[in-house]
Amino acid sequence: MQWVQILILGLMLGGVYAVMASGLTLIFGVMRIVNLAHATFILLAAYLTFFLYEFLDVDPILSLAVTVPVMFLVGIAVYLLLFPRIENSPRFVESTVLLTFGVALFMEGTMGRTFTGTYRLVRPTYGTESFLIGDLYIPKGQLYALIVSAVLLLLLAALLYGTRIGGSIRATMQNRTAAQIVGVNVRRTMALSFGLGIALAGASGTLLSFLFPFFPASHWEWVPIMLALVVLGGLGSLQGALIGALGLSVVAAFVMTELGPTWQPMTFFLALFLILLVRPQGLYGKPLEA
Amino acid sequence: MATTTAPVPSLDERRAALERAEARVALQRRVFRAVVALVALGLIAFPALRGTFSAFNYVIQVLIVMLMFTAMASSWNIMGGFAGYISLGHNVFMVIGAYVSGMLLVYQGISPFVSVFLGVALAVAVGTLFGLITLRTRGPAFIIASISLLLMTRLMMDNWKAIEGASGLSLPIPDFFPTLGKVPMYYGMLAAALGAVGLAYGISRSKFGLALRAIAMDEVKAEAAGIDTRRYKIIALALSAIFIAWAGTFWGYTLNYIRPSAFLSVAIAADMALMSIVGGKGTVAGPPIGAFLIILVTELSVWLFGPSELNLAISGTILITVLLFFPLGIVGTLQNRQRDRLARLRAAVEDSGEAVMKGA
Amino acid sequence: MPLLQLEGVTAGYGSAPNIINGVDLEVEAAHSYCIIGPNGAGKSTLLRAICGVLHPRSGRVLLDGEDIGRLRPDQVLARGLCFVPSDRALFPAMTVRENLEMGAFLESDKRVIAERLERALEIFPVLRERATQRAGTLSGGQQQQVVLGRALMMEPRIIMIDEPSLGLAPQIAQQIFRTIASFADMGISVLLVEQNVRRGLNAAQSGIVLDLGRKVLEGPAGTILTDPRLRELYLGRQAEAAAGSGDDGRA
Repeated sequence: MQWVQILILGLMLGGVYAVMASGLTLIFGVMRIVNLAHATFILLAAYLTFFLYEFLDVDPILSLAVTVPVMFLVGIAVYLLLFPRIENSPRFVESTVLLTFGVALFMEGTMGRTFTGTYRLVRPTYGTESFLIGDLYIPKGQLYALIVSAVLLLLLAALLYGTRIGGSIRATMQNRTAAQIVGVNVRRTMALSFGLGIALAGASGTLLSFLFPFFPASHWEWVPIMLALVVLGGLGSLQGALIGALGLSVVAAFVMTELGPTWQPMTFFLALFLILLVRPQGLYGKPLEA
Repeated sequence: MATTTAPVPSLDERRAALERAEARVALQRRVFRAVVALVALGLIAFPALRGTFSAFNYVIQVLIVMLMFTAMASSWNIMGGFAGYISLGHNVFMVIGAYVSGMLLVYQGISPFVSVFLGVALAVAVGTLFGLITLRTRGPAFIIASISLLLMTRLMMDNWKAIEGASGLSLPIPDFFPTLGKVPMYYGMLAAALGAVGLAYGISRSKFGLALRAIAMDEVKAEAAGIDTRRYKIIALALSAIFIAWAGTFWGYTLNYIRPSAFLSVAIAADMALMSIVGGKGTVAGPPIGAFLIILVTELSVWLFGPSELNLAISGTILITVLLFFPLGIVGTLQNRQRDRLARLRAAVEDSGEAVMKGA
Repeated sequence: MPLLQLEGVTAGYGSAPNIINGVDLEVEAAHSYCIIGPNGAGKSTLLRAICGVLHPRSGRVLLDGEDIGRLRPDQVLARGLCFVPSDRALFPAMTVRENLEMGAFLESDKRVIAERLERALEIFPVLRERATQRAGTLSGGQQQQVVLGRALMMEPRIIMIDEPSLGLAPQIAQQIFRTIASFADMGISVLLVEQNVRRGLNAAQSGIVLDLGRKVLEGPAGTILTDPRLRELYLGRQAEAAAGSGDDGRA
């Protein structure tokens, strides 16, 4: 397969990865929460999309109109339920890792019980079709996913830089005390940011539902990918996450072609270790120290 | 019999109250030690009951599992509790022990009772290497790296043809099996449990343990005080690998089958952390008690719901509940309360002593 | 009626003992006060307890007669009381202009925001030159000006400023204090916390001396400055601290 083809495949997937990573980055940036359960929310949205398709014939891309708001509300609920209690504990960041790990176990267990371990995949017609441009195959599903991802990221940017809420989110990310004293309701901003982060997870879940087969334990496959993306970009930097997503997915695409799909996750693991070894603060961001 | 102000107890009364409390604590400690000794003796003597009752095989299996998790949780606690560095990848040491001994048994006929030391040595080496790479930064980078280690090792081993990958390897049935059953594995696991708890106890009493505690409480201050935090962290990690690898060797031997999924599952990683946290992260008695309780709960849930994913949901719920409401764990909370009570009584005596000295 | 009134306020952090041990205070409109006192007197804690970042454990904080002790910082700000902490809490990735505009976060009328911005830039002309520069790259003195300018953007009736001269060269600090001294003329009350007794009292009309969480002296700034009890307080505390360091460590 020529390298242009691989590059394109990598970039298309990179779009979806970028949406995943942006949610996680937002959550860490604003609240210093390392959300190990992020991928379980991605899965939850994927299941939701699946059942909307199976029982109500809703096209997955259209179902975004449902999954995104639902996941937004789920995110706010989860935040308010769990995090205010540990807000002031020492070693907060580490506590969030354990807490979200618990959430991940809970989600996986409940989803496993409810949805069983069967592999699921949403199969819209464009899931298996491709455009042929010259010598290049452009799978329709992935192209649509890329377009939707790009739109979502643009909307996110518009929200963050063009609205008052976005301003309060950025302010809280940059300096929580300063945000407090200019009148930002920090508690509300944090809940909204978590909701937004989970909504982004939900969106990527909907997109992934027709790209890859999934089952309850498959979220662990996504965890290292996201961790690598976010650590590479510099936990807390959205531009970093974006660049990391695109860059790493292209590399992963090449790895997959050369070594086979099983080794694709290895790219991300190795990237993670390398970053932690060489430059723990990633490309752009603050170091992982609390 | 309400009075407007309670009469202030005299200095003698306060001193007596303090002495009574201290005596009570000393008694509790002696009783606890006696119970531990009895339990240990009981565990050592238990296999003598082989053949005397029909549920023996079931009980010895459950005991093996409990001893295994006691060993693993106590070892995990050295890194997660004493040093304060949570790890979700300690299973890697377990699988090293299991595979080193398993492979040597299958291909060279070497008994795990001999090869266990090799497995331990390799695990310690791997742990040290991992520590060298990841313990350069403080904070959550380590947890993330440990999860990655777990998932990465799982991926590698599932696809490694030389060790039969995901399908694993069947171990030959040992010659002693008809006469002794699982009793030798039981003793191997008991050794792991006693060793791990003993190691934890030894560390908690040593200067090394003190340094780890300082690191756990405030690493920046510990460094400023001149503690070589990186070295101590790496040593803690290496020590925590020992009995986990040992337990892995004997678990593989017990199962008679080794495959990556039996060791490198997220559930086991969760359990190690969960047991220590529920029992009391940073205490010596906590992890074994936590192991006992969690296994009890697991057995109960299997009995009620069957071996389903619901166990994972239950583990998750317990973890969340403990983190939010009982962060010190059972033993930790009890110890804290006791310490506070004694401190308060002590302060009452000392303050009044001052008052007496100042002539008030 | 005074603008701000504190009655028997106590406060502390977490489960630690009280740092503020019962403070009574009155702040009049358009009047500037400087709070001084030895280390650990509770000066910063007092400001935090007033603005809502910390909640008083007992006593009342009355703004215009309303008890604001339980309100969030953003609610207190909406009532005209703003706080400038000692660590120059800026938004480092935002430009100077954006930082200033964030000061008017609670205001929605764009024209009003633009007017306030213009006024702030007049008072701090340096900021006009650097309006598009990222705040994180400014010098200490410039950052302090951004933070003060941002406070003005909130159109406060009271500004509480915690140690504005920290880490600044003396001439720059001098400028900052001159500007702060002019706030009272603009109709804004100032509650200033300052380590440097002379500089602080010279920039304010009245002085308040705190020690061990209690108010021990109060009066016109000039009078406080020359009060012999002030010297005793500072020297006395130093002597105690020196004696205490040879002790067996008992508090």
